[in-house]
Amino acid sequence: MQVFLQTLIGGVTFGAVYALVAMGFSIVYRTMGLVNFAHGSVVMIGAYAASTFYMASKLPFAVAVLVAITVTALIGLVIERFLRPLENKDFTLMLIGTIGFGAVLEAGAVLVWGATGHAVPSPVATGPIDLAGVRIPTYSLLVIAVAAAATGLLALFLQRTKRGAAMQAVAMDHQAATAVGIHVGRSNAMAFAIGAGLAALAGSLIGPMLYVNPTMGGTLGIKGFAAAMLGGFGSMPGAIVGGLAFGLLDSFAAGNFQEYSELVTFLVFAVIVMIRPTGIFGETTVNRA
Amino acid sequence: MKRLLWLVPLAVAAWLLPYGLGGYAIHVADVAIIFAILAIGLGLTMGVAGQINLAQVAFFGVGAYAVAILTTKAGFGFWTAAALALLVAVVFGMLVGIPALRMQSHYLGIVTLGLALAFTNWVTNAHIAGRAEGISDIPVPPMFGIDLSSGYLFYYVELVVFAIALAFALLVTRSPLGRRLRAMRDDDLAAGSLGAEIPLLRMTAFVLSGLYGGLAGILYAGLIRFVAPESFNIANMFLLLAMVIIGGRSSIIGCVVGAVALSLVREALLDASGYAQLGYGLVVVLVVVFAPQGLAGLPGQIRSLLRRRAGGSRAQLGPFRPYGAAPASSREAALEVREVTKRFKGLVALDRVSLTVPTGEIRGIVGPNGSGKTTLFNVISGFYDPTQGSVALGGRDVTGMAPYRLSLRGVARTFQNLRLFEDLSVRENILLGLDRTRTSWIWRYPGLPWKVLDYERSLHRRGEELIERFGLTDVAGAGPRSLPYGVQRRIELARAMAMSPTLLLLDEPAAGLNGEEVRQLAEIVRSIRDSGVTVIVIEHNMGLVMSLCDQVTVLSSGKVIADGRPAEVAVHPDVVAAYLGDSMSAPTEATAEAAAEEATR
Amino acid sequence: MTTLTVEGLSVHYGGVRAAHDVSFTVEPGQSLGIIGANGAGKTSTLKAVMGLAPRQATTIRFGEHDLLRAPAHTLVRHGIGYVPEGRHVFPGLTVEKNLLLGAYTSSWKRTPIDEVYELFPVLGEMGGRLAGALSGGQQQMLAVGRALMCRPKVMLLDEPSMGLSPKLVGDIAGVLKKLNADGLAILLVEQNAKLTFDVTSTCLVMENGEIAASGTSAELRDDPQVRRIYLGL
Repeated sequence: MQVFLQTLIGGVTFGAVYALVAMGFSIVYRTMGLVNFAHGSVVMIGAYAASTFYMASKLPFAVAVLVAITVTALIGLVIERFLRPLENKDFTLMLIGTIGFGAVLEAGAVLVWGATGHAVPSPVATGPIDLAGVRIPTYSLLVIAVAAAATGLLALFLQRTKRGAAMQAVAMDHQAATAVGIHVGRSNAMAFAIGAGLAALAGSLIGPMLYVNPTMGGTLGIKGFAAAMLGGFGSMPGAIVGGLAFGLLDSFAAGNFQEYSELVTFLVFAVIVMIRPTGIFGETTVNRA
Repeated sequence: MKRLLWLVPLAVAAWLLPYGLGGYAIHVADVAIIFAILAIGLGLTMGVAGQINLAQVAFFGVGAYAVAILTTKAGFGFWTAAALALLVAVVFGMLVGIPALRMQSHYLGIVTLGLALAFTNWVTNAHIAGRAEGISDIPVPPMFGIDLSSGYLFYYVELVVFAIALAFALLVTRSPLGRRLRAMRDDDLAAGSLGAEIPLLRMTAFVLSGLYGGLAGILYAGLIRFVAPESFNIANMFLLLAMVIIGGRSSIIGCVVGAVALSLVREALLDASGYAQLGYGLVVVLVVVFAPQGLAGLPGQIRSLLRRRAGGSRAQLGPFRPYGAAPASSREAALEVREVTKRFKGLVALDRVSLTVPTGEIRGIVGPNGSGKTTLFNVISGFYDPTQGSVALGGRDVTGMAPYRLSLRGVARTFQNLRLFEDLSVRENILLGLDRTRTSWIWRYPGLPWKVLDYERSLHRRGEELIERFGLTDVAGAGPRSLPYGVQRRIELARAMAMSPTLLLLDEPAAGLNGEEVRQLAEIVRSIRDSGVTVIVIEHNMGLVMSLCDQVTVLSSGKVIADGRPAEVAVHPDVVAAYLGDSMSAPTEATAEAAAEEATR
Repeated sequence: MTTLTVEGLSVHYGGVRAAHDVSFTVEPGQSLGIIGANGAGKTSTLKAVMGLAPRQATTIRFGEHDLLRAPAHTLVRHGIGYVPEGRHVFPGLTVEKNLLLGAYTSSWKRTPIDEVYELFPVLGEMGGRLAGALSGGQQQMLAVGRALMCRPKVMLLDEPSMGLSPKLVGDIAGVLKKLNADGLAILLVEQNAKLTFDVTSTCLVMENGEIAASGTSAELRDDPQVRRIYLGL
C-alpha cells in the first residue's frame, strides 16, 4: 500500500508536468490545427533557460521561470510566423516542418549549453513530508500546485476574457471569427506563444526532477503528446486528464517493470489509442475510410 | 524503359567508384548506400503511400539486431540469420502498421515514434541484445571465399542489393500498386470509391517499410559487425527524415539522392556536428516552406514558374466519341433503395426513402439545399451505412458494403466537389479507374514482375483509347489542378467510366459548366445510357434535368415528395412550394454533414 | 450617408467561376434581395463582399471606406453585420459569449445585448447554454443577434431560411422587416424567393454566377423567368 501511494505521488507529479506539456500542444492544435512536434524541444529550452537563470544569474526560481516563459514565448512566435504559409494547406508538411524546428532548437541547445547537460538543485530546501510512512517531497507539492494554478489561470483567461473568448472562437470557426472582427493571425500567434509559455513552465518545473540535457525534449515531448492524445487531441480537460493518466501509467510501469518502463508505457499507449483513437474527450472520428 | 537508360553510365560509375577511393572513403560510401536503402523504404511508406511512419529507424534496428542475436546467440550462419531477420523486420513492420488501420497523420506519427522508442528501450536493457554495450563479434558474411570483411568487396554486395532494391521500388511506384498508394495518399475516400482496398494498402506500405528497413539492417550488421542502441535512436530517425524530405519524399530517386548527399555532408561536418544538425534542421524547415517536393521537385517547380510567366497552357478538349449502342440486357431494376433512413447525431438526413431505378434509365434526383441528395448517394456508394433500410443492386442486397466492394460490383460515382487526385496526371487518374485488380494481386510483384509490366502496358493501351474517346488527349499528361474546371469535370466522368460500371452516380455534374459544356455533358450522358449503363444524376440545373432525365425523384427534408416524368414533377404543388418558398425543410443535412466533416478533420 | 456599392465583382475558386461581373448598391435603409437557385453564385458574392472569398472587383465601397483593400476583420468596425450561410455560431461557447463576440471590436461594457434579448426573448432565456445545443431556428436568431451586436448600419444575411420550418421562416421575415423599418439597410441572399419578396423592396436574380434579372420584388413575384430558373420550365 505504501509503495502504491508512493508511486501514485510520483505519477501525479510527473503527470502534472505532462499535463502542462499536453495543454501547450492542445491549445496550438485547437486554434490552428497545427501539430507541433517541436513542442518537446521548446520544453527543453524552457528547462535550460530557467535553470541557467536560476543557477548562473542567481535569480529567484520564480523569476527565472518567468524569464524562461518569455524567452520561449518569443521562440513560439518565430515558429508560428515561419510556418504560417503552410497553415490549413498540407498537414504532413507542417508536421515535418515542426520536426525540423525541433532539431534546430536541440542543436542550438547543444551549441549554447554543451551536449552534457547539468543537474538543477531543488529550489525548495525543506525535506519531504512524512505522511503515514509515505514520503511526499515538498517539491512535488510545489509542482502540483504551480501546474494547478497555471491550469486555473489558463481556464480563467479562456473563459473570462475577451481575448480568450476570441481565441476559442477562432478555433471553432475562423471565418465567422473574422466576420465579427477578430484578427485570426494575431490570435493564432498568441495561442502559439501561450503554448510555448506552458512548455517553458513544464520544462522549468521538471528541471530539478530530471537531469537537464539537450535530448530531454524528445522523450518529454512524445510523452506530453501521447498524454494529449490519450485525453483527446485539442481538448483542454482531456490534456489534464491525459497528462495525469500518462504520468500514472509511466510511474507504475517504472515501479513494476523497472528499466523496461518505457517499452511497457508505449506499448500500453499504442494499445489504448488503437482501441480508442479519439482519446477520452476527443473528436468523434479520426478517419472514415 | 528507355527513360531508364541514363542509369547505365551511373551504374558503371558506381561499379568503378572503389578504384578511386581510400579505405575510409569506401566505408563512408558503404554507409551511404545503407542509408539510401533505408530512405527508399521511408520514401515508399511516407512519400508515396502517405503513412507518417517515424519507426523506420526501428525497422533498421530490428534487421540489424536480429542478425546479431541469431548469429552470436543462436549460432545461425550469417545468411540464414539474414533471411530470418528480413522476415522478423517485415513482421515488425506489420505490427507497427496495425495502428495505421485506425488512425492517420499526426496520430500515426506519434504512435510509430512511441513504438520506435519502445524498441530502443528494449535493446538498451535486454540482456540478449547486449544492453547499452550492444553486440560485437558478428561473423563476417561468407561468400564463396571472397573476404567480405573488406569494405571494398562488401561495397559490391551492397551495390547489387541496392540495385535490386531500387529497381523493385521503381517497379512499385511506376505500376498499378504505386498508383493506388499515391491515390490513397491524396484522397483515401476517392481511392476507395475506385476500388482500392485501403486497409490492405496501408499494411502493404508498412510491409515495404519493414522490408527495406530489414534489408538495410542486415547490410549494416554485415558491414560494421557490431550493433549498439545509439545507431537506431531518434536522432538518426531525424537524419533519415531529413534525407527523404530534402531529397523529395515522393520521388524514389530523390530519396536516394538525399540519402547519399546527407551522408556525405554528415561525414564532412563530423567535427562540427552541432552546427551540422542545426543546418539539417534549418534546411528541412526551408525545404518544407519553399520547396515542398524537395530536390526532386525543384525542376518541376521552376518549370511551372516559367510557364506561369509565359501565360499558362491553352489545353483544348477534343470532341467526345460516342459509345456503341448496346440495349440494356435486362428489364430488372438496376438499383432498389428500400425505406432507407440515415441519422446523424439525432438529425434525420434521409427519412424512409424508397427508390427503384430500372436498368438503362437516366434518373434525376433534385431537391433544395440540404434535402438529402448527397447523403443518398453516399449511402448507395457505401460511404455511409444506412441507419435503417436496404440497398440492392440488380436484385442483390449490398447494404453496408464498403465502397471498394461496390466499386468492383459496378458502382461508379463522381463527387460534387470533384475529387480528382491532384498529384497524379490525368492519365494516371484514368488508369486508376481502369485497374480492377484486388490488392491480393500484388504477389506478382516479387513473383512475376514481368506480368506486372505486361498488365501495366495493357492498362495503358486501354487508357489511351478511353482518353481519346473523351477527347482528353491534349491534357492527358497534365496535372488536373492546372486545367479549367470544365475539363476537370470531363476527366472525372471519364475516370468513372473507366471502371466499366453498370450504375453511374453523378453528383452535380453540371456545376460550374458553361452552356456549351452543359450541352456536351448531356450528349455524353445519353451515350453512356445508350451503351447500357444506368445513370443517376443529382443536379440543380433544372433545364438539364428536364431535358436529360427519363424520370425525376424530388427530395425535400430527406423525404421523397414527388417521383415521375420531368414535366409532371415540375408542376407538382409540393415541388413548387419546396423550391419557391414555404419549404418544410426542418432537416439539416447540411449541418449534419458539416458536423461529420468537421469531426473527420 | 453610407451606401454599400459593389461594381464588377467576380469570384473564382481555382479554375471555377462562381460569380461574374456582379454590381449592385444598397442605399441606407434600403432592403435588397438576391435570389437564385443553388450554385448560382449568391453565397460567393456575399462572401466576396465580406473579403472571405477570393475576389476581383472595380469597386467595393461602404460610404467613404474602401472595402476592397480592407482586411476582412476590419469590416465590422465600419458597421457591416454579417450572418453567414449555415449560421456558423460558435458551438462550444455560450449564447451570451456568442453575442458578446459580435461586439468584439467595441467595449463589452456598453453593448446592445439587452436590445437583442428584447428582439429574441428566447435567447435571453438560454443565455448560459452552449450555442451548439440550440435548435436550428434558435441558432439562426443567435446568428442574427450576433450580427446586431456591432450596431450595424447594413446587415448582410446569407440564406437565413435554410433548414427552418415555415413558421420560423415567417418569424425571421418579421424580424428582418422590423429591423429594416427601424432604419437598418438589409442585403438578403436567399434561395427562398417567397421570403425574399416578402422582406425586400428590390431584388436581383442570379443564374450561373451572373445577374439574370432585376426589378422590384412586386414585379419579380410573377415573373415567368424566375419560375424558369427555379423549375426549368
